Amino acid sequence: MVIGQFLKKVGAVVAAAVALAPAIALAQDAPVEPTGYAAPGQIHLQRSVTPVMDSIVSFHDGILMWTISLIVVFVLALLLWMAFRFNVKRNPTPASFTHNTMVEVVWTVLPIIILIVIAIPSFGVLSDQLTVPDGERKYLGSNIFSFGEVDVPAPELTVKATGQQWYWDYQYVDQGLEFSSLMLQEDDRTATKPAQPRLLAVDSELVVPVDTTVRLQVTADPQGVIHAFAVPSFGIKIDAVPGRLNETWFNSRETGIFYGQCSELCGKDHAFMPIAVRVVTKEEFATYMAAFEGGDYTAANATLAAVQ
Amino acid sequence: MTDTAHLQAHATGHDSASHAHTPTGWRRWVFSTNHKDIGLMYLVFTIFTGVVGGLLSGVMRMELQEPGIQIFHGLAGMAYGMDGDAALDAGKHMYNVFTTAHALIMVFFVVMPATMGGFANYFAPLMIGAPDTAFPRINNIAFWLLPPAFILLVISLFVEGVGPGANGAGGGWTIYPPFATTGHPGPAMDFVILSLHIAGISSILGAINLITTIFNMRAPGMTLHKMPLFAWSVLVTAFLLLMALPVLAGAITMLLTDRNLGTAFFKPSEGGDPILFQHLFWFFGHPEVYIMILPGFGIISHIVSTFSRKPIFGYMAMAYAMVAIGLVGFVVWAHHMFTTGLSLDVQRYFVAATMVIAVPTGIKIFSWIATMWGGSITFKSPMLWAVGFIFLFTVGGVTGVVLANAGADRSLHDTYYVVAHFHYVLSLGAVFSIFAAWYYWYPKMFGYMYNETLAKVHFWVMFVGVNLIFFPQHFLGLAGMPRRYIDYPDAFALWNRVSSVGYYITFVAMIVFFYATWEAFKRKRPAGDSPWGVGATTLEWTLSSPPPFHQFTTLPKIESTNAH
Amino acid sequence: MAGIAKNHDYHMVEPSPWPFVMSVAVFLLALGIIFWMRQWTPWMFFIGLTAVLYTMYAWWSDVIKEANNGVDHTPVVQMHLRYGMILFITSEIFVFFGFFWAYFDGFFRLDDVEQYARVAGTGGVWPPIGVELFDPFHLPLFNTLLLLTSGTTVTWAHHALLQNDREGLKWGLALTVLLGVVFTAVQALEYSQAGFSFSGNIYGATFFMATGLHGFHVIIGTIFLAVCLLRAIRGEFTPERHVGFELAAWYWHFVDVVWIFLFASIYVWGSWGVPLSH
Ligand code: HEA
Ligand code: HEA
Ligand code: CUA
Ligand SMILES: [Cu+2]
Repeated sequence: MVIGQFLKKVGAVVAAAVALAPAIALAQDAPVEPTGYAAPGQIHLQRSVTPVMDSIVSFHDGILMWTISLIVVFVLALLLWMAFRFNVKRNPTPASFTHNTMVEVVWTVLPIIILIVIAIPSFGVLSDQLTVPDGERKYLGSNIFSFGEVDVPAPELTVKATGQQWYWDYQYVDQGLEFSSLMLQEDDRTATKPAQPRLLAVDSELVVPVDTTVRLQVTADPQGVIHAFAVPSFGIKIDAVPGRLNETWFNSRETGIFYGQCSELCGKDHAFMPIAVRVVTKEEFATYMAAFEGGDYTAANATLAAVQ
Repeated sequence: MTDTAHLQAHATGHDSASHAHTPTGWRRWVFSTNHKDIGLMYLVFTIFTGVVGGLLSGVMRMELQEPGIQIFHGLAGMAYGMDGDAALDAGKHMYNVFTTAHALIMVFFVVMPATMGGFANYFAPLMIGAPDTAFPRINNIAFWLLPPAFILLVISLFVEGVGPGANGAGGGWTIYPPFATTGHPGPAMDFVILSLHIAGISSILGAINLITTIFNMRAPGMTLHKMPLFAWSVLVTAFLLLMALPVLAGAITMLLTDRNLGTAFFKPSEGGDPILFQHLFWFFGHPEVYIMILPGFGIISHIVSTFSRKPIFGYMAMAYAMVAIGLVGFVVWAHHMFTTGLSLDVQRYFVAATMVIAVPTGIKIFSWIATMWGGSITFKSPMLWAVGFIFLFTVGGVTGVVLANAGADRSLHDTYYVVAHFHYVLSLGAVFSIFAAWYYWYPKMFGYMYNETLAKVHFWVMFVGVNLIFFPQHFLGLAGMPRRYIDYPDAFALWNRVSSVGYYITFVAMIVFFYATWEAFKRKRPAGDSPWGVGATTLEWTLSSPPPFHQFTTLPKIESTNAH
Repeated sequence: MAGIAKNHDYHMVEPSPWPFVMSVAVFLLALGIIFWMRQWTPWMFFIGLTAVLYTMYAWWSDVIKEANNGVDHTPVVQMHLRYGMILFITSEIFVFFGFFWAYFDGFFRLDDVEQYARVAGTGGVWPPIGVELFDPFHLPLFNTLLLLTSGTTVTWAHHALLQNDREGLKWGLALTVLLGVVFTAVQALEYSQAGFSFSGNIYGATFFMATGLHGFHVIIGTIFLAVCLLRAIRGEFTPERHVGFELAAWYWHFVDVVWIFLFASIYVWGSWGVPLSH
């Protein structure tokens, strides 16, 4: 992650300039990146575990960051050069030209070209996100300038998430099994899942199998308000709108717990309705589902290793 | 009423040409029909509202300085006499109310009135050689509608919003239903809606006045293509106001009837559509962001040219780039809605359309630099603000291009990356242009010169402060911190702390600003008619400082080639 | 400054109390709207409305005096007024644009499957199940003809004025005002027979919002024309100078055109192939 390094340097420069906040020192030796949520002081996108997030990361870090950084540096360099070269001391008599067709054409055409170069992978990344796999279609993954090399299987599981004020209801649609997922209050978290991050730990994680395409349907309580379902390391974010069924998909290649947070202002506890997706092996998932048959989430969850 | 009656008799009793005397006392201001006086009233108003909006953001930054909830439960406790969980809940809502009020105040009561009300009113007529605006009374009501609108907004903070112990509207400045309808049963949201109606009417009236003035009252010889760029920017902005604000007015009217008269515009169960509101809002909202920046573009052009002692590079391209930005600005609105479930084709269109705007904007950035190229630049304080603007606006602009890519916006939408983007173009863009204009035209408006050192200190402290507030917010957004959050996972603590420290530095800058202003009024150093020397070529510099109550009793003639 | 004569044709308006008074009135009206809608009291609304109407009267009386004093309304000032009116009408067009958007969002997208609640609530058909439509070719068509006629009568009045035919001017205006009043009355009659209401379903919401706002504009236009009629009777307006009249006519045509759009899209298109109530 060259860009990550680059960004860290930028961050360090800013931090040096600050020199006011003592805690800055901590940023330099950021700990190993945790899976599924941000590291303290993190300055880049969360680590990807899906093909879609792979493409977002390479699109952002590989093209966008470079382009915009260079443009900013270029403009800054020009401005500094103006200040140095054309200040009144060095250049007491001003020129009076007001036109130069050549440069005007260049600074019109060049940005157009840059934008086209950005737009091509951009459309690819976007199409991947919005096209639910059918097993045939190839996805870009990190290879955003290709025409797609990554295989993604057709969805095998459909999950529906319904935004409530202020928690999420989940349903395994085909199985007709439902449960609710609420943020753990601090007392409960420290008592039951002390290793899980504050504000992100929930009582009941959404459990899905690894390496499986999950179709995700998102809506909100018909009498409620808009929320948004987002899991950064999956590269998904989709609004939960009352009366409307939105659809997206993900396919995680890693097991673990991946966190997200409600991403549309929905009232006082908007900051307190996290999303926790627990990705387990296919075998574990089968056992879990079998135990869930009767509709008892707790019993099903008990088949999995306890979350600490 | 006797005074009024007298005034009426007076007004109609004589041939109006024969008594162009200066009105005095409170009537001069309250009953004003003078564009410069009205412009000044706008500026005083926005300094006041700017302080309010800035202090609200200060409380937000204090809250966000550490993970956990430290300020708002206490504030709510004091406001409602509660404690424990009740205070905590009230505090969480109160944070949203602060965010909403901060944004609405900054947008509708600071930036718009300062640029289109204050500077446009004062200087557009001067620059085009007009004795006043076309509709002086309409000009005055456009100003006087703002205090009632502001008062309604303030009232909203103190009446029930979401429920008992949850006063004020906390739906964000975007007031999306159903949160703004069924989610806010109390009257607070109604006050906000009516406040926006009135502020909107004010802006529309102001726009009509300015467009008519610019089309009809240019001095002999001043063709549109000789008109100074600030006047151009005001013209384009006024058209955006004229076409965007009515759509907002319609949208919030539907919100109002949905709330109170049982209509179904945004209620899905009765055939309505909550996303419809978002379309209408952003059809207004996106042009609105250009409304906030275009006058700044105009201001920067003058300052750069003045202090480089060189005419504007590429005048025509500069003018038509603004026209292009204005036009394209009307067809990109759904880039705010990439996560609402729009179809792939629709998203593709909005990605492409949005990126197009980078081209005319780039033309402006590069033309400013080309104006400086070969010039003899003096870095007086207005120029510092202008150069700061060019740089910081570029930073904010390019992150806009990142967001324009729906694929990347999937990760960044509704995170602090967006907050960082728009503060770079607003708080470091639009506000910088306002301060640039303030220091540039201060000697003209008041006849005094401020202390240049203080002005420079103000710039540098503010420059450091606001960058420290908003640059780290890019990191927060990339790492996934959602916006409109009173509390956040501990991983985001570091950059939030830096951001809050930045606010305190900015606060110091604001104190320097007020001190510099006070000092200038106290010392009364005469500024002279044209303190910036030969680079300042527009008509306002041909007048005395401050200009006579009625300037151009004989219209100036624009003869030579370039007025700009 | 006193005594320095101005050397240009612009109207340097004297300080006026009305803008400030109007802003207070508008504030009261806004409070009144809230108070009434929240069912606290209707009175504030009427106080505000009275204040607004009175201030309008006073303000425009001043304008009319200035128009008649022969000095203030020079050709360029008249040009200002024309620009102002066109721009004002432009902004009004965009208000209607928003409401038409709402209408078409229902009309075209009611069967959008993602919006399951919408489909469930309305049957996914336009008009929504349970909504009985007007026959566009009864009262609405009659009203269309009324408005179109009124467009010609106001043009007649204008031509009469240009020929200095005062009687024609007055008759043309009087007829236009009459047609406007009849239009409003017919619209009220139609409303009273509606098979749906403003609340409760998207059809009623968009229908009444759009046509109601239009009706409101008809009333404003009628008053505007009535004022012109009064001024004509008082002997004002000359073939050369009659900006006030012209602006009223423009406004009236605007109201007319909006109606054509309403009639075509809501009444005719929106009921195409739908069984009607009568
Ligand atoms: C003054 C206000 C202002 C301005 C000028 C802009 C300018 C731009 N904005 Fe921004 N924007 C806002 C205010 C503004 N914005 C606000 C307030 C929000 C959030 C609203 C909310 O949700 O509350 C927002 C949100 C926002 C979003 C939605 C993000 C989200 O919610 O997920 C997007 C997405 O496309 C966007 C894009 C852009 C683009 C492409 C520009 C372009 O106009 C920028 C163009 C400028 C440049 C690109 C820099 C200079 C150019 C060059 C040096 C040439 C070379 C450059 C290239 C080739 C790239 N903006
Ligand atoms: C013009 C617009 C503007 C300006 C200037 C600012 C200025 C600031 N804003 Fe804000 N802000 C918004 C518009 C603006 N903001 C919007 C639209 C939102 C989104 C709200 C939502 O989510 O709905 C937002 C949200 C927002 C958030 C996110 C809240 C959240 O999502 O939870 C934060 C957090 O740090 C923040 C902080 C600040 C700070 C510290 C400043 C500081 O820069 C303030 C410092 C003070 C000044 C810069 C002085 C201001 C100017 C004057 C005093 C005028 C002077 C006048 C003359 C000289 C004539 N703002
Ligand atoms: Cu749910 Cu925000
Ligand atoms: Cu936008």
